[in-house]
Order: sequence, then structure tokens, then C-alpha cells
Amino acid sequence: MTTQPHILVIDDEAQILRALRTILTAKQFKVSVASSGEEGLTLAAAQKPDLIILDLSLPDIDGVEVCTRLREWSQVPIIILSVRDGERDKVFALDKGADDYLTKPFGIEELLARIRVALRHSAQTMGSQKSQVIYTGNVAIDLAMHSISRGGEEVKLTATEFKLLAYLASNAGRVLTNRSILSHVWDPAEMDRVEYLRVYIRQLRKKLETDPDHPHIIRNEPGIGYRFMVED
Amino acid sequence: MHFIPFQKFKADHGLEFLFTILLITIFTLIILPFRSQGGQDHTIMSLLYLLPVVLSSLLWGLGPGALAAVISFLVLNYFFVPPYKTLLVHQTQDLIVLIVFLGVSITIGQLVARVSKSLAASKAREHEAIHLYELITHLAASKDSQEIISTLAEQTLITLGARQVEVMVEGQADIPPSHVRLEGSQQAAARIDSKPTHIVPLQSTGGFLGEIRVWRENAKFSPEEERVLNTFASQGVSTLERIRLSQAASRARLLEESDRFKSLLLSSVSHELRTPLATIKAAVTGLSSQTVEWDSDARQDLLSAVEEETDHLNLLVGNLLNMSRIEAGALKPECSWNSLDEIVSTSLERTRQQTSRHELVVEVPPELPPVLVDYFQIEQVFINLISNSTKYSPEGSTIRIQAVKMDEEALLVMVSNQGPHVAQEDLERIFDKFVRVTAADKVTGAGLGLSICKGIIEAHGGRIWAENLEQGFGFKLTIPISWDGFSRKAGEELTCE
Repeated sequence: MTTQPHILVIDDEAQILRALRTILTAKQFKVSVASSGEEGLTLAAAQKPDLIILDLSLPDIDGVEVCTRLREWSQVPIIILSVRDGERDKVFALDKGADDYLTKPFGIEELLARIRVALRHSAQTMGSQKSQVIYTGNVAIDLAMHSISRGGEEVKLTATEFKLLAYLASNAGRVLTNRSILSHVWDPAEMDRVEYLRVYIRQLRKKLETDPDHPHIIRNEPGIGYRFMVED
Repeated sequence: MHFIPFQKFKADHGLEFLFTILLITIFTLIILPFRSQGGQDHTIMSLLYLLPVVLSSLLWGLGPGALAAVISFLVLNYFFVPPYKTLLVHQTQDLIVLIVFLGVSITIGQLVARVSKSLAASKAREHEAIHLYELITHLAASKDSQEIISTLAEQTLITLGARQVEVMVEGQADIPPSHVRLEGSQQAAARIDSKPTHIVPLQSTGGFLGEIRVWRENAKFSPEEERVLNTFASQGVSTLERIRLSQAASRARLLEESDRFKSLLLSSVSHELRTPLATIKAAVTGLSSQTVEWDSDARQDLLSAVEEETDHLNLLVGNLLNMSRIEAGALKPECSWNSLDEIVSTSLERTRQQTSRHELVVEVPPELPPVLVDYFQIEQVFINLISNSTKYSPEGSTIRIQAVKMDEEALLVMVSNQGPHVAQEDLERIFDKFVRVTAADKVTGAGLGLSICKGIIEAHGGRIWAENLEQGFGFKLTIPISWDGFSRKAGEELTCE
């Protein structure tokens, strides 16, 4: 791995490729670009980028398909960049393994922030193989020891609360859809019982957040799901 | 099938009674010479007199039958029971004979009349059924309300033997009012302005639809005829309703279709507008970012991306505007004399970015006669055709623009590329709105470009079509040179002077 994070941009619009390459290069990233799905998959396999920015409307294969095929062998963070702004499109892409979703047009600062979050998350998942402790704000989560502390004091969680927090925290930075949370923490049969999820999220926030009404650790992704934030 | 209305069997009232009296008079005159002197045969005579009673009951019904019985009784008494020529009866047995005669003849008369009446009624009912059947068969075959109304008028005319029938249906919502008048073959057109003898409303659950008006010589309608007319009216109404419902259903389908089109347009337009906007916003927010020191090359790169995407957006908006003008029939070319090679070269200039990965060959001789066209609209046509060619033909292939003088009237222009062939049945369709014969997601564009070309060229009095070429695919179009020829063909669209 180089010190410069390597980003692969897959988009069929020549102009957006050009703008992103210029900006990301100026931001000290190593950038490669692909203008079709197949080209993107080949480059991803050959160059092993640290992050992929992917458009959904590609001339040869659909972006979601690219996402699915990448996930067969790679855990590289994928940020979807698309003009499709329907909830259904977002949820579909996220369920197929994308980490984040940004609709066009977007501000470059927001994209950069999402890139930082995604890169930190992937660094953490790699590092966490050893430590298994995730820090966010004044909360420390030790997944291996099943212990959570907030400001040094131990927080008691029920089994389900812990399972939920563990799933969210081990996917820190990623947008998780309601359905994927429900099927992992509860049971695939309960995939549509969003009301369970709401109740448990509220309880977790009460125990962890400084201000449960304005959560910083477990963020809402309206209409889609939740995202666990690792704060600086 | 034509049948004489049963009422014609009967004469008018009054006349029937006269006929009855006449019949008995004639009968009496015939048998009077055979009267025996002693008057012993009056019992036989009384049997004979049952004949005119039965006859008149059969022919003219109950009343005349009864009248015949009474008159026969009097005549028997007066002429055949002694003493003659007086109504006096001397012998008791004669009186009994006479009274029995009266009783029997009235009873027989009533029975006969009743049988003949019920026979007539069942015949009438049979006719009614036949006519109704005919009407229903004809109505079932009718496809629109005009046809239904004609059928209804025709069947009413035939069935009732009317002189004239008029069926009037009021217009509803977007259905125009209709009106059919039919005249019988005999005494046609007589006293048309007189009042109809009979009017039946066409009444549906939804309200008054119209009415059937009948003119007939015999103004009196029998109950059977009334019933037939009413049944006709209600059959007509239900058929009309059926047609209206099915028309409403097909209108609803049309609306749905146009709704689908609109949402297609919206999604396609928002997609198309956001793509260049994304580049512009990314570049601009990048440039305004405080965290980077931009070197001049990078800054220039981002700025030119913004410039090109702004042009792209402008083109899109222009296309959309033109489309809505074409839709509204408000596309008016502002014509002036232009040379085609100039228009072609500016449109090439404006598509420079898009065509950078294609080989361009332009064969538009400057010595072609000038054409009277709207410069910007024709430029738009070339931009759209070139942009279409770059999208659908492989990179590095050739796009060729050629123009020749076809005849004294028009120039022929061809924009061809080395792209794949288009299925024969789609060659027309590609000029329709939002139609992309290749999968929509794989090529950018709202599917408006070609339909705008068609709109513009047709507003100029020309023609545009697509052809599969030996090697590739081409658009051909004609632009009129001769102004006279143009104004003859498309005079109403002419705004140029």
C-alpha cells in the first residue's frame, strides 16, 4: 500500500471523470478512472484500490451489478454516485454491498467527507482484527469482551441491544439498511419489522448518546436505515 | 321484414257497428223469401241467425257481436215469428225460443270474440318478440352511438309502420349530440313540421339522453305498440350506455398513456439535467474549497469543464423548449437566406467536444444555392444529428455530412455514421418522442433530439427519414430551395417573408 490512498472512479460521463480526477488528485489521492463497468472491474482487480466511486448508469452493465460482482471477492469501500435519487434505488444498491450513496449533483466537500469516513472504516475493520475495541466520542466498545463503557463507566446492555450495537459498530461508517440490520440482528423472517428496530435504536441512544434526541453516534439515514459514526 | 299492424284488421269504431247492421240486413234480405207462410220454421231461422252473430263477433269483436245478437233477436221476432211485422209474440213457446236464441247468440258471440282477440294478442306478442329480436341483433352489431341511433330509428320506422321517425340524442361531455330522421317510403316528406304523434324519452340512470319521435297516419297506438316502443327505447338506452362506457374506458387508457409519457419525460429530463449539473457543482465546490491550493492547470481544467457542461445544459434546455414549442404547434421558423455550409460548420464547432473521438468528413460545397431557413433551428438539427451519431457509432469511426442539390426544389442532406443498423420497423419510430431503440440506460439523452429534428424540418416544409446504409446508418433530409414550392406545400406554417 502506498501512503496516498488510491481511488478508482467508475463513471461514463467524461466531464465528471475529468473534474473528479482533477479535484481528488489535488486532494492528494491517487486516482484512476474507468468509463464502463467491465473496465472498472478489471481495474479494481488489477490495481486493488482503497476505495471505489461508482456511478449506477453505465453503458455496459448496471452499477448495482458491478457492486455485486466486486463484493464477491473484495471488501473495498464503495461509494455510489448517481442521479437516481429514489429511496428504492438507494436501498437496493446498499443492500447489494455499497457502503454509501451520494446523489448527483453533490458538493465536493460532502464527497470528501464520505471518502474519509469510508477509508477510516476500512482501516478500522482491518485493524480491529487485533484490538476489537471501537472508540466513538466518550464511548468505547469492546466487541470481544462484550463490554461497553461511556466516560469510563460501564454501560449495561441486553443481549439484543449488544447484538445490534455490535453489528452497527463493526460496520462503522457504512449506511446499513433497515432490512439488512433486521435480518442480521433478528432473523431474515423479521426483515420488515422496522418497529422492533426503532425501539432498540432508541434504547441504545439513551444509553450511549449525550443527547439522544440529536444523535451523533447512531445517525439516521432517512428512509433507508442507520449509520454508526466513528467520531474523530 | 314488413308486417301490417294488427289494427288494420279492424275499422274504426262506429263503422264496425254499421257493418254489423249491414251484414244482418243483407242476410235477412237473402233468407226472407224462404220464409214459410205459417211461420213454423222460425226455430230453424233462429239457428241460421247465429251465423251473422258469430261472423260479426269474429270480425269486429265483443260490441258488434252483442249488437248482432240483439238485432238478430228483433229481426227474428219481427219478420219470422208470427204475427209478422210486429214485435208481439202470441205463443209462449215462441217466446222461449226467442229468449233462448238471445242468450245463446250473446254467449257464442262473446266466446268467439274473446278467442279471436286472444289469438290476435298472441300474434301481436309474437311480432313484438320478433321485432325486439331484430332490434337487439342490429344493436349488438353497432359500434358507435351514431350507428345505434340509426338502427333504432330504422327499426322503429319498420315496426310501427310510421310515416317518419326521428331519434335525437343530446351531446354529453365530449360526445357530440346526434340526430337521425328517417322517412317511410310512402307519402314521404309530407307535413314534416307537424307535431309528432308520439314521443318516448330515452331515459338512463344517469339522466335524460334524448327521445324518439314518431309520426304516423294512425295516431292511436295500441298497448302492444306502446310496449314495443318503450322496450325499443330502453334497449337503445342500454346499448348507448354500453358504448359510452367503453369509450370512457378507452379515454381513461389514453390518459394513462399520456401520464406515463409525462413521468417518463420527467425522469428522463431530471436525469439529463442533473448529469451536467453534477460536474458543474463538483468543479465549483472544488474550486471554492479552502483546503486546497489549486495550481493554474487544475483550475483551468475545472473551469473549462464547467464551461462545457454549461453549454451542454443550454443545449438540453434549448431542445426541451423546442420540443414544447413543437408540441404546442408554436414552432415558427424565422427564416432568412443562409448558406448550408456555414450552418454545418458552426454546428460542428458546437459539437467539437462530443465529436473528438470520431473522424468527421464534411462534403457540403459552398456553391450550393442558399436556402431560406431559420439559422438556429437548422443548426439545432445538425447538432442533434451529429450528437446522435456520436452516441450510437463506435469510437474512431467516421461521421459523414453530405449535401447535394436534389432538384430545382430542394437540397438533400445526409448525416451518416458507421453505427449498427436499426430494425426496419423502428426506422419510423426513432423520430417519436422518448423512443430509444437501444436500452435507455446505456446511452445518455432524453430521446428528444430526433423528434425535434423532425418537428423543425417539417416546419420548414422538408422531410426527414432514416435509412440503413450498406456500411452503417444514415439520416436523410430535404430542405426546400424554391420558395414558391415551399409556400404551396406548407402555406399555413409560413411565417417567413
